[in-house]
Formats: sequence, C-alpha cells, structure tokens
Amino acid sequence: MISKADWEEVPGTIDSDSDEKLFFSVHEWDTIDAAASRIIPTDADPGAHEAGVIVFIDRYLSGIEFNFATAAGGGFLQMAGKDAVAARARNANMQRLYRGGVKELDRIAGELGQQSFKSASADVQDQVLEQLSGSPKPAPISLDSREVFHSRLQGNTDDGMPFFPTLCLHVRQGFYADPVYGGNKGQVGWRVIGFPGPKCLRDTMDGTYSTAEYFVQEYDWSELIPGFKASGG
Amino acid sequence: MKRKMEPVDVVIVGLGAGGGPAAMVLSQAGYKVVGFDKGPWLRPAEHYSGDELKYQNRSYLWPDVDLMPRTVRSDDQSVAEIFNFSPVPSNVGGGTSHMAGWTPRPRESDFIFHSLHGDLAGANLADWPIRYEHLEPYLTKVEWTYGISGLAGADKGAAFRSKDYPSEPLPPTRFGKKFYEGASALGINAFPLPMSHLTEGNALGRPAVNRSSFWNQYGDPTETRSSVTTTFIPLALATGNFEVRADSFVRHVKVDRQGRATGVVYVDNDGVEIEQDARVVILALGAIESARLMLLSKSARFPDGLANDSGVVGKNATFHEYLFAVGLFDNERDEPLNGWTGNYQSGGSMHFYETDESRGHIGGGIIATTQTGQPINMILPGRPTWGQAMKDADRSYFSHAMKIGFILQDMPQETNRVDLDPTVKDAWGLPVARITNRPHANDLAMSRWQIDKNMEILQAAGATRTIPVYLERFTGNACHQQGTVRMGIDPEKSVLNEWGQAHGVDNLFVLDGAGFPTALGVNPTLTIMANSWRCSDYIAQTHLRGRADRLELPNTGEVRRQEPK
Repeated sequence: MISKADWEEVPGTIDSDSDEKLFFSVHEWDTIDAAASRIIPTDADPGAHEAGVIVFIDRYLSGIEFNFATAAGGGFLQMAGKDAVAARARNANMQRLYRGGVKELDRIAGELGQQSFKSASADVQDQVLEQLSGSPKPAPISLDSREVFHSRLQGNTDDGMPFFPTLCLHVRQGFYADPVYGGNKGQVGWRVIGFPGPKCLRDTMDGTYSTAEYFVQEYDWSELIPGFKASGG
Repeated sequence: MKRKMEPVDVVIVGLGAGGGPAAMVLSQAGYKVVGFDKGPWLRPAEHYSGDELKYQNRSYLWPDVDLMPRTVRSDDQSVAEIFNFSPVPSNVGGGTSHMAGWTPRPRESDFIFHSLHGDLAGANLADWPIRYEHLEPYLTKVEWTYGISGLAGADKGAAFRSKDYPSEPLPPTRFGKKFYEGASALGINAFPLPMSHLTEGNALGRPAVNRSSFWNQYGDPTETRSSVTTTFIPLALATGNFEVRADSFVRHVKVDRQGRATGVVYVDNDGVEIEQDARVVILALGAIESARLMLLSKSARFPDGLANDSGVVGKNATFHEYLFAVGLFDNERDEPLNGWTGNYQSGGSMHFYETDESRGHIGGGIIATTQTGQPINMILPGRPTWGQAMKDADRSYFSHAMKIGFILQDMPQETNRVDLDPTVKDAWGLPVARITNRPHANDLAMSRWQIDKNMEILQAAGATRTIPVYLERFTGNACHQQGTVRMGIDPEKSVLNEWGQAHGVDNLFVLDGAGFPTALGVNPTLTIMANSWRCSDYIAQTHLRGRADRLELPNTGEVRRQEPK
C-alpha cells in the first residue's frame, strides 16, 4: 500500500473562472452560488461570487482528487490506502448533504411564495437562510456584549454538521483558502481583510515568503521586562 | 506462522517527543534499536507548506477520526461519543511536527505537588519519584541538542539552570509588545517563552527560524523548527544502529511466562503481521495510546493489561485544556496588531504559577499571548457566521484582535482515565481509547481566575472589548497528554518507577508524558524529552549492563535499593 509519504502528485490547477461543473447540476450550481453570495455578500468589496467560491465547492464535492494540494501548490495529492477509503466515504456523505440542501433551499423558498431560491430577491433569500439555520440573521459584533464562551477543539473540520453550518464553513474556506483550491480568485478574499498572504504556496517552503517585517523592529528586553537586565555578551 | 524479524536490543514504539531522545541515546550507546511509528515518515521540505485549508481544516497532519477514532464521555453513566480528542499527529515526529513549540522548564514545585498540598478532595495528587535537580542536567542537554531559544533571567521565579540558552528569542510581534505593556502596567513579570527554534547567530550554528507565520498546527517545510525529525532522529540514524519503521502499527507487546517483555507484534503497511523481538521495549506513543497498547496487551500473566497489577494503567489522565481571552481593539484608533503574524506565541508569564490560596485554588499554569490565526480560522469567539455582519467582523478585527492563552494545570483524578471502548474499533479492528473526563472543581476555579486575569491584562493593554473562553468540559485542544501510566515509589499506586520502568516488568519502559504523576503547569514536551533522555541513560548505562539501581531523593534523605534479581 502506498504510504502517505509517497502519495502521487497529479499536476494541474483549478481555474476559478471555469463554469465547467464536476459535481453540481446547473440548477444546483446557481443555487449554491446565490446562497454563497448571501453568506459573504458583495459590497464595496468583492464577495463570495467574485472570489469563485462556487468553483471551490464544486471541485471539493466532486471526489477526493482536490482534498489536498501538493505542498508547492502545482497540483493535487492522489490519496491512497486507508486514508482514501475514509475520505471517499465522507465525500459521499457530503454529496448527499448538498443535494438535500439545495432541495431544502428551494422548498423553503416555495413556502415563501418563490419559484426557487435562486430567483428570489436578496431579502427573501436571507429569510430562507434564517429559516434554514433556525436563527435570525447574525447581528454585528457588539463592543458592549459580555457574552461568555467555552473551549472547543482547534481546527475546523466539516465532519458531522448539518447543511447550513457546513455551507457557511465552505464559503468561508472558498473565500480565504489558497487560490490553488479554486476560490479566493486572485487572492481577492485576502485583500478584503488585509492579509498579505504568500504569492504561491511554494514561497512558504523556502523562506521566500516572510512576515519578518511585521515583527517589532526596535525593542529592548530590559524595557519590555521591568527589572530584567540583559547579561553582558 | 507470523513473520519474524532478527531480534534487536531495543524497540521503541512511537517516535515523537518521548521516542526521539531514547532512539538517540540508546543507538549512540551502541545498541541496535528499531523505532516504530503507526504513521508515515513525511519529508518536511517535500510535504509541508503554508496551506491553511490543508492543515487547519482538512487535517492533513492530524489523525483521521474515522481511521483512528477516540471516544469521550464525562462519567461512567454517559455513553461515550466519537471525538478527535487530543489529536497529536500520528507520524514520525509525533507532536513535534505540528506543535507551536512552547518549551518552558518546569519548576521545583511541580515535582512535589502532594508534599505541598496534601490530599485534595476528589483529586489524586502525588509527588514525582524524581526532583527538579535530577532533571536539570537533561533539560540543559535537550535545550542544546534539540535547539531552544529563550532569555535566561527574564522569568523571575525560574528554577536554577546550569547553562544559558543556545539562542536569543525572536523579537516580539506587535501583539506581543501590547502584552508586555499590559503586563507591565499591572506589575506582572512577562518574558519571551522558551521556544523550539533558534534565531540568528545562535550558538548551535543552525539557520534562524522561518518567519512565514504558518506555524501552530503546520509542519515546517524549512526544517528550522526544532523537531524530533530534524534533531534526535538524524543523530540516531548517524550511528548506524537505528532503523525507523514507519507505517507500522504495533498492536501488542509480547511477554514470556515470567511476565518479561519479549518484543512486539506489528502490522506493516501491507497488512502483514510481523514479530520483532527485543531485550527492552520502550513505549512512547503518547499518554493515551501508550495506556491503550498496555490495556490491549493482555496475557496469562497480565489479564488486565501489561504491567497492570495495580489497576492504575489508564487512570489519573490529565490533558491541559487550552483556554484564553480575546481582546478587540479599535480599528480606527489603534495600530494594527496583526494577530496572524509570528511563531504562535510572543511573550508569556509564569507570574501566577505558584499556589496562592487567596485566589481560591491551588497550583497555576503558564499564560502567553498567541496568534489569533489566519483568515479562514481566525479566532474570534462569537463571530457572526454569515452575512454582512461576518464580513464586517472580518474586516474590522482580522488585524485588530489579540489573545492571551492559558495552559490549565488540571488535577489528576482516578476517575479521569483512558480505557478500551467496548464497541468502537479502529481501522485495524482493535478497540479504541475511551476517555472519561470531568473537570475537578480546582480546574474550574483556576481557569476562571486566570482567564479573568488575562482579560485585565488585555484591558490594561487597551482592548475595547474582552471575550472570555472558560472551561466547561475537556476537548483535548492543547494536544497535551499526561499521567495515564504514572511513575511513583509505591507499586500499589503507580505503574512505573523513577526510571520510567514498569514495577512488575523490568525490561518495559514508558517514556512519554504517561509517566507524569501530576500535569505540570507548563507545556510537557521539554520535560518529556529530558525525562526520556534521563531514563534512556539508565537503560544504556545500568539496565542493559545487567544492573539495577535506585534513585536517592535528597529532599527526604530516603535511599531505596532494589535487590538484584
């Protein structure tokens, strides 16, 4: 069995301008693209639609070929062995979740008197998402809030969640992940929030990409640490 | 008939922080050593890069929860659910391949927790069978072999050290500088935490650490992070006495009729079951999996699991839940803090480490200001999940938030434990580890007090809003594991002696965090490596030469000698 250390690298990148559909039908594609545009809307800055989030999600759902980019970002790893078996099973679940999710979006839109989710106005689409999520549309962060939280596991896998939180997570990933995965077209997501990410993944492998300039340049430990005296030498 | 390999002197199961130093020490002493790891041997320069989706969301390095599940429950009455509890990378290098790399030293008080505090109701406090001074020479050896940067003298309560660090720390990040300002305003002693990397002009002549900021939970493609795969393993391989067998799952430790370990049975990457005999078996799989392997290794002599005459194997597990407070700053008024920069932590404190009972709890832990993360997973508790509010929150706070984290020193409890799940099996068909865990009242009080203190520091640093993240239940999010195979003097109450050697099986050693009788208030990796080195010296210089010795505890003046067999 091929070790994870020797997974084959399949060259090729994803074109975020492509409208070729590897998993979605035309209707599903348009529906998820519309929903993504409500999750990260377009305003003065680009949103999910402009970032190619739909391409990112379509490629992810299409199988396990696009799960892991190669380290340098020139292609994708061909998963093998037990890992591939487990990933394929999860992919099948994810495909079912999305197929059902699109139907649910249309069903709720129908209850609100719409022909479909994608043809509804932005306001009605938001109402559908509120119903689907079971909560009001999120309000802005309040600086007066005293809300308290509890610890959770780091890392954010998409295992075992209902459709709507899964979609929200995937839209976020498609907006901010390295462009090799098909979203974040031209690093547009990073520009929106001011993240000066690497030009390409390869640049993170050899020190070409560095954030050294963002560290404090002028400092003195004995000033930062009262009472500390640097020993000579 | 199972395939059998040529016998060797030593097998080591698990090539992370515990197995790495053992491999080096024993192969350098001239013994033939084979090291096993369940996972692959990834090549950093070829396999790692700054791909947030791959590492933080798609778990490239973490155990696949469907192949290697664990289950968790809060008490014996609850049904355990599958959960990726304490996900330490399952590959050669183990936790040192993804860790942020905090490597602070423990203090003297860590080794005498029971002497200091007596019996704490509901907890199972114990002294270690060693003291700080036994470990100190090895802490120094690790700092100079593995490569750790720090600023000697900056932690005002630090214990004695015999040698300076081989490297200066990194400069502070902008949020690091804020942390120093906040701490200083409150009279709190902050300092650059010792880290598993080196900076320019270090005494070891190694390249300075990479500053891509893709750090915590990432592998390091530049190999400038100190990790087991870049230090101990190459040193062990250079002797010609060490062999790595990756992708090899050890499913059983064999014993003879007298109960001595004779070797291991493992399954290679093609599913073939193979036996490897050895004179010494060292377990270093991490406290969860070491306990699991011992419980799986039942025999006529040990019907309840290997070396488990006391019934203590798996019990007193501690996990160091990671808790924190986030401060939001004004994006129009304040300079950017750039919480996505740096090598995870950028300034910490052990000011609240020692017990002060006026706080309402005993013990304490380490705090540090840490990255708020990259774009997909930026840490902002309560962040709106969709719509304009989410986009606005990302724009406002991606560069205007900071976080002060806390490593909880949880109290050992006999009921907090690892055992074998009665129904769930892993991809090899064996029962998985089931974690039973409920916070002690002291854990809740300690974490609440410290997170409130972290919020005060954030306020002193100028935060507009502070957000607490308290303890409710353990999720294993620190990826630290201790205590399941505790060391001690009394064979009725512990599994290992002061050499990490099983009381009942003289050629079985457990050299990861499993041996820690109490959790420490600092990150365990440095102590795991130093203790493994110390015990491996004993194996090489004493045990494998057919002798036995016991350690004198100077604090008690007690001397114990083991009768030769």
